[in-house]
Amino acid sequence: MSQVVGIDLGTTNSLVAVLGDDGPRVLPDPATGARLLPSAVGFLPDGQIVVGRQARELAGAQPFDTVLSVKRFMGVGLEHVTPEDRRRYRFAEREGALRLVVQGREVTPPEVSAHVLRELKRWAEAALGEPVARAVITVPAYFNDSQRQATRDAGRLAGLDVLRLVNEPTAASLAYGLERADEGIVAVYDLGGGTFDVSILKLRGGIFEVLATGGDTRLGGDDFDARLADLLLAELPAELREHPQVHAQVLGFAERAKWTLSDAEQTDVTLALPNGGDVRRTVTRAEFESLIAPLVERTGVVCRRALKDAGLAASDVLQVVAVGGSTRVPLVRRQMQAVFGRPPLVDLNPDEVVALGAGIQAGILTGGQRDMLLLDVVPLSLGIETMGAVFTRLIDRNTTIPAAARETFTTAVDDQTSVDIHVLQGERELASDNRSLARFKIPVAPGPAGVPRLEVTFLIDANGILSVTAADLRTGHARSVEVKPSYGLTDEEMERMLEESIDFAEEDVRQRQVREARVDADTILNATRAQLAKHAALLEPDEEQRIREAVQALQVARDGEDYVRIRDAYDVLSQTTEPFARRIMDSSLMSAVEGRPLEDL
Amino acid sequence: MQTVLTADRTCWRCRVDTAGGLVCPGCEAPQPLAPDADLFQVLGLPRSLVIDGDDLERRYHAASRAVHPDRHQLADARAGALAVSASAAVNRAYRTLRDPIARARYWLELHGVRLAEDNNRVPPALAELVFDTQEKLEELAGVNGAGAIRQEVDAIRADLEARIGGFTTDLGTQVAAWEREGVSATPATLAELKRRLSEISYLRSLLGDVDTAVGA
Repeated sequence: MSQVVGIDLGTTNSLVAVLGDDGPRVLPDPATGARLLPSAVGFLPDGQIVVGRQARELAGAQPFDTVLSVKRFMGVGLEHVTPEDRRRYRFAEREGALRLVVQGREVTPPEVSAHVLRELKRWAEAALGEPVARAVITVPAYFNDSQRQATRDAGRLAGLDVLRLVNEPTAASLAYGLERADEGIVAVYDLGGGTFDVSILKLRGGIFEVLATGGDTRLGGDDFDARLADLLLAELPAELREHPQVHAQVLGFAERAKWTLSDAEQTDVTLALPNGGDVRRTVTRAEFESLIAPLVERTGVVCRRALKDAGLAASDVLQVVAVGGSTRVPLVRRQMQAVFGRPPLVDLNPDEVVALGAGIQAGILTGGQRDMLLLDVVPLSLGIETMGAVFTRLIDRNTTIPAAARETFTTAVDDQTSVDIHVLQGERELASDNRSLARFKIPVAPGPAGVPRLEVTFLIDANGILSVTAADLRTGHARSVEVKPSYGLTDEEMERMLEESIDFAEEDVRQRQVREARVDADTILNATRAQLAKHAALLEPDEEQRIREAVQALQVARDGEDYVRIRDAYDVLSQTTEPFARRIMDSSLMSAVEGRPLEDL
Repeated sequence: MQTVLTADRTCWRCRVDTAGGLVCPGCEAPQPLAPDADLFQVLGLPRSLVIDGDDLERRYHAASRAVHPDRHQLADARAGALAVSASAAVNRAYRTLRDPIARARYWLELHGVRLAEDNNRVPPALAELVFDTQEKLEELAGVNGAGAIRQEVDAIRADLEARIGGFTTDLGTQVAAWEREGVSATPATLAELKRRLSEISYLRSLLGDVDTAVGA
């Protein structure tokens, strides 16, 4: 039987891994060897779609049509998007599941995510030399039911049978446990690009038992970038602040500054303005830390609550495992130490540990790793709306899954033909303060009010996903349950999208090659033209002529259909411009550009 | 695996005798639980108020290894569905039995004594404490985090936690004595157990109110 892969579907980057004979390993991009796939999807005017690094690079030029953090939008509705999201993306103004508008058409977040998954599937198939049809996909532990369903839908759209959704921190603990074989209490602190999770686990005899989990699905390294970007934007002239391209460029610089400040005490950023001018600024680590301190403190609050839920003190924790790229930020590490009283373990690669854990879980499910077993929990309490719009809990947060609750319902008026049940998830007293998951309509045999007896079972499976079944206690017959998801896709929508996705998957490989080559060509063409205009003084005699000829040749090839010719012309132009690019760099004061090719300047 | 109450002693898949275990000893298929199986039986335990924590955890881990859906991922749909429901029952059994209060409450239910889910009546022995605590919480809400009152509330909180701990220990000692003497299910002990559990439940919900008020 074909292998089951483990996928870390991240906010910023995604990875695919598999459990081999020597343990789990990440499967790289067959073309470039890259291990991280940027979770970026770009929609081109001609209807074509690019994924990964190319899409990321497109963001500056086509910000609205390039989705960089689709994970933030999985399983939510229009009322959950922030003003910042609205500046960055366009949304269809309608109720229910959120829809993004790209190139004038509506797409759902699961469809966008499916493009990322499809690319990882391709990487895995190239590395393994066989088709891949089944996967374990990780989700933030704090994802609610709708967000989990959306992730599973994305998998289906990508042609993957999703055997299990695994919580990211728990997946990380599997990789940690395989590596270290410690026994005791372990805290996993997982700060990714867009989400934060903490899980407290007890490791004993190969059993990984989650005692408590907590998190914030709207807190991550992206927010650090945004805070820094806001600071930089505030210093720009007002008319530039709202300029989408400037916005995207500033965000990119903020992200690079964050990386640099993990090691350096300060960094310089230089923004090229659309009017030809530029703005330079030095950012110190202290300044950056004061911007993000309130966000980092929020993670501390969540950690302390999780410890309390687990009934433990910080001193009970044997080891703290740092997961997610954002744990490289020194202030974040100090926060971990402040909460748990010991420095975090950082010897596992924080970018890869979740994917490796997903690979191990795939092995557990297929019998390749029989000695380990994960016992996870539901992150948020699940309940129903009862009389007076009150939230009545049926399953408490941090209950081990699978978990079931049973309730008996009756009718309020004579000859009522169905019972409506509104299911919500959250910790608040009022129903309306919690997240609506779905409404269930269940038929009952008519009778006087209060006489029918309907037994409803709420079951949360090992994926953390709810299903509802019902039985009529008077007749003993099972009753059908009609589901209206609050922020999910209906069965009909899912069916239509599946049909479309099959069309997409069967698209000619050659067309894909042409498409990718064209995107690369456009990137270098635009960059070269811009640099020729900007740094004409740095050109040697004849050099401009040679570069312009190479530009022309690539332009002609790009407009044709032969991707090999496009690639060749691309290489020629790249080589021709190399000395010029080096001179630009030498003359530049920008520290951030070292070692970067011309197209990235 | 100890004997538990399953609906049928013959494996639904391979027809061998299951001896009432959670899974078939032959083909490892999870077996449907009897509708009247109790949570003690699910983990192979006698209906006792006194349980050894380490033994309970070992039984829980063994049962999880047998029935967890991860172990039946590649099996047929029926085995998969039974794995989910059996696993949910095992998880519920462990969650209920490991907590002495939840365990005692459940044990009382098995003996036909129900504690109201939201008992709003203040147990007489706690009336004064409840009154003082609520007064302090109101003061705290009124002055918005004034240091002195906050300290008092923190002291009340610590006191409540200590009382709950003390009551729970006393309860454990008492039920152990009853079990030794074989009198735990007499009308008098059932009533006494109910009174003690009501007090502890009330203190727990009061502690919850304090936590909410101080934003802990």
